Parts: sequence; structure tokens; C-alpha cells
Amino acid sequence: MTKKVELRVYGMTCDDCVAHVSEGLKGTKGVLDVIVSLKDGKAEVLINDAVNPKELENIEVFKKPSHYKAQVRRVKDE
Amino acid sequence: MSEYDLAIIGIGAAAFSAAIKASELTSNQMKIAMIGYGALGGTCVNVGCVPSKYLIEASKSFRNAKKMVYDGMESSVTIDFNEFMESLNKFVETEREEKYTKVLKNFKNIDLYDGKAKFIDKNTVTVNGNKISAFNFIIATGSKTFIPDLKGLVNYYTSDNIWTIRKIPEKLAILGSGEVALELANAFSNFGSEVHIINRSNRLLKGFDDDITNELRNIMAKNGIKFHLGVDIKEIKNNKEKKIIFYNGTEQPIDVDEIIVAMGRQPNIEELCLEKAEVKYNHGILVDSHMKTSCENIYAAGDCVEQELKLETLAGKEGAVAAGNILGSDESINIKEIPWAAFCEPNVASVGYTEKELKLQNRDYIVRKIDLKNVVKANILKSNEGIVKIISDNEKRILGMQIIAPHAAEFIIEGVYLVKHRLTYDDIINTSHIFPTVAESVKIAGQSFIRDISKMSCCME
Ligand SMILES: Cc1cc2nc3c(=O)[nH]c(=O)nc-3n(C[C@H](O)[C@H](O)[C@H](O)COP(=O)(O)OP(=O)(O)OC[C@H]3O[C@@H](n4cnc5c(N)ncnc54)[C@H](O)[C@@H]3O)c2cc1C
Repeated sequence: MTKKVELRVYGMTCDDCVAHVSEGLKGTKGVLDVIVSLKDGKAEVLINDAVNPKELENIEVFKKPSHYKAQVRRVKDE
Repeated sequence: MSEYDLAIIGIGAAAFSAAIKASELTSNQMKIAMIGYGALGGTCVNVGCVPSKYLIEASKSFRNAKKMVYDGMESSVTIDFNEFMESLNKFVETEREEKYTKVLKNFKNIDLYDGKAKFIDKNTVTVNGNKISAFNFIIATGSKTFIPDLKGLVNYYTSDNIWTIRKIPEKLAILGSGEVALELANAFSNFGSEVHIINRSNRLLKGFDDDITNELRNIMAKNGIKFHLGVDIKEIKNNKEKKIIFYNGTEQPIDVDEIIVAMGRQPNIEELCLEKAEVKYNHGILVDSHMKTSCENIYAAGDCVEQELKLETLAGKEGAVAAGNILGSDESINIKEIPWAAFCEPNVASVGYTEKELKLQNRDYIVRKIDLKNVVKANILKSNEGIVKIISDNEKRILGMQIIAPHAAEFIIEGVYLVKHRLTYDDIINTSHIFPTVAESVKIAGQSFIRDISKMSCCME
């Protein structure tokens, strides 16, 4: 079953940041698709059962020394 | 309705620390609401640590100037108490402006709301009728002075308004025997008041072993403070000039010019409607070691939390830990690594476990205690009444330290590192201390684990 996860992402200031966060999310097991918005500081992430939505907050791109931080806001079954 | 990433209820130490940490961790992108009433900065800067330390340090300076302790010296000093208290209040204003008002201006991501917050559900509070919603909450509403229900107790000061006093009372009663009571007693005694400490409990301070509190009481009594402990006040009669305190039992009534109530503090939680957010509480808000409440998205920090210590440093640490954990960290607080001090003279300070606690837990321990008369610097200062007590486990690791000594609040930090990093009394002995300092008393107490210090020269390492 796939789920759509809305993440609040902090720390992005430019398109490079968007690319960095997108890559980090896309490289995570269970992540099928990612749309990151710089303006809203948000990411929409499509996942399957291989990943728990909460685990997305602690993937490499959101861990120290990275200055990006994320928090799950909503999870919807697709 | 305004929507935020984080709403912090409170504008004191815990709240500021949480707001700054959350801002730092998110490159100032977290949208934060800070809600509170009264002066910015809360208790510590306005009516707590800052004015009380200003008062006590000034009072020590006055007393020292008045009673020169070295032979061949005499002085005459006077005090304009009104002018002094004006300067104290000016100092508080400046500190508040510099450390809180100006600091907040650096954070465009923080909106300040003036008013009381009440939960209507776990994501929403109302403030002056307006709704504020947030994904995360930190409750940092602090505590307030407990006022007992005593017949005739109508005209009194507390630590909230003692800063308005403009005349040194000739005779002063302080109800309570905790740290706030002892500090104010010491300060007014230094300024020349006859101070009476009155309390129903027989003990001074909480969280210390009895040998320490007994020693402190003896020292303060020698310095002129009068103790009425284990007494039960029946009523207070007020006439134009005096307040007369009557007891149940045999203790004689006393008449005083002023009364300060300092019988402890209670968490500020009853107006928050915590049930609406399913936040559990007892006397204070119940949290886990990560500062999370019973509600997933709500954390709490500082004096409003159910915990044994009420401190600015602890409030600040808890605020920062709560903010970090909201943003994915995994930080917790070990209360046994938090130092505590009262700034009466001599200072009393502690960290870690007391003997009493270890006995209750049936744990093995070794304890050593030295008299401050073994410390050359204390003798030089002519302030050599006090104790350093260190407790270790059977593997020599330091479990706790309690000190009565001048400047103890400055050097209890050595005990904090020892307890936090599970260091041993060998580590104390093998670390050079400055001679002569009062802090060297910790080294001598460490040495007392391995040798008889009465047979030790002061250069012995
Ligand atoms: C006389 C005195 C001396 C002290 N000396 C020391 C010392 O030397 N060292 C030390 O470490 N500690 C000391 N303390 C303790 C220290 O001041 C407190 O532990 C610390 O200030 C607590 O901070 P806080 O942020 O938890 O609460 P506070 O600073 O009390 O802030 C709480 C805030 O919450 C707000 N609030 C309350 N209810 C609501 C509501 N419903 N909605 C919105 N806002 C609300 C209040 O307006 C207030 O601003 C002293 C305390 C006193 C009284």
C-alpha cells in the first residue's frame, strides 16, 4: 500500500537545497516519489510499506551535521 | 486563526531557551508563537535570580564594609536603602532589556502574544478570545509563590513584590525555610534587620543530608538569624505599627515590622485547561525524560513540570531539550547531574545523590566529610565555617557532593563534571587545584578518601 507523507522541511534557502533534500529523500528505501517546495518549506513524499513515515525525519539528509530538519505533518493512504 | 509550527506558552527562561534553540535548529524558519503575560523574561530576571542575587551580594558588601574582619582596620559606612533599591530595579530593567527584549528582536520568526493561553484541543489555544493553532506545543508557564491560608495574614511581601520595599525593617519574619527564605533572611540580616525564620517543618532546605542543613542552621544562627522551626502559626494580629505572630503551642508570640512569605512555589497549570489537550498532571505537568507530556505533540519545560528542582538553568536546559526533541533529537535530562545552590553566606551547593537517597535505595557508598578549617583560603578569608561532603560508590566513582563554603556556588561545577562523567576520587586527587582557593577544599575532601588529612601538609598532592 502506498502513502503520501507531507513533511515540513526547515533550513532550505535556495534551489540547491531543494535538490539536496530531494536527493536525500529519493535515495531512501521505500520512497517512490518526491516533490519539494522551497516556498512552503514542505515536501510531499510518496512511500510504500518499506518505510515508516516517522523514519523519514531521521534520514541522513536531516541528521547532523546537515542543517535541514523535517517533521511529518500528515500521512494519507493513496 | 493564526497557525504556527510551534507555540510556546510562557515568556520566561524555559520559553526563551526553547524558542532560541528551535530557531537555531531550523535556520530561523520555524514559525513560533510565544504567549505570556507580565514582564518579558518571567521570574528569573524580573523577580527571581537576578534581583535576589543583586540584593544578597550588595548586602554582603555592606556587612563586610561595616564589620572589617582583619585586625587594625575600621570603617564607617552608611546606606541609603531607597537609593539602593532604585538601583536594583534599574539593574533588573537593563538586564531584561539586554537579555530578553533586544534578543527577541533578532528572531523575525517569533511572534509574541500578550495574554493567558487556554487549550481548547491538542493543537489549539485561545488567547484573549483569539485562536492560535500549532503543530507542536511547549508549555513553560513557570510557578508561583504558595500563600498559606493563615488567619490574619493580610499584609505581607513575597519574592514577587519585595523589590518594592524601601525601608530596612527593624524586625522581619520570614515564613518558610527553603532557598528563597534563606537568601532573603541572609540579605536583610546583613542590612541590619533582626530576622526570624519561621516554619512548620523542622528542616532547612530540601534535598540535603541533615548534617549539612544542621551545620548551615548553626552558622546562620551564629550570624544572628533566629530560627523558629517545627512551630505552627495560629494567627497573625495586625496593628498600626506591628504584626504579631501567635503560635499553637508553647512558643512565645513575636511582633515584627514586616513579613515575607517564602513557603515554596507551585506550578502554574490550573488555568491552562490541560484536560482539553489530554495532558496529564499531578502538582506539576508529568513528562518523560525527553520532556514530552502524555500528549504526543506537547512538551513541557521549567518550573511548571513535576520535578524536585526549580532552577533557571534547569528550565533553560529543559526548554532546549524539548525544542531539540521536537525536531528529531533524542536528548534527555538526568536530574542528578544538575547542580543546585543557595547564595546565603556561606553558600550551600550540591549535585548528585545524598546519603539519605542512597540509603533509601539500599545502595553501597563511601562518604567523606571535611571541615572548612582544613582549607587555608577559608582561614585567610576568615570564613572557615562549613563542610565539604563527598559520596562515592565502591569503585571510587563520585555519586554526590554537598558543600557549605564561601563561593561554593562557583565551584560546585567540579562536582557536576565528576558525577556526569562518572569520575573517581582518584581523578580529584590527580588533578591539580589552585592553591590557595576555597575550591581546593574539593581536592582535600578527595584526599580524605585515601589518607588522614590531619597528618597532611597543605602542599601534599
Ligand atoms: C526569589 C527567587 C530567587 C531565585 N534564584 C535562583 C537562582 O539564583 N538560580 C536559579 O537557577 N534559579 C533561581 N530561582 C528559580 C528560577 O527563577 C526559576 O526556576 C525559573 O525562572 C523558572 O523559569 P520558567 O521559564 O520555568 O518560568 P517563569 O520564568 O516563571 O516563566 C513562566 C511564564 O509563563 C507565563 N504564564 C503562566 N501561565 C500562563 C498562561 N496560562 N498562559 C500564558 N502564559 C502563562 C508567565 O507570564 C511567565 O512569564 C529563583 C526563584 C525565585 C522566586
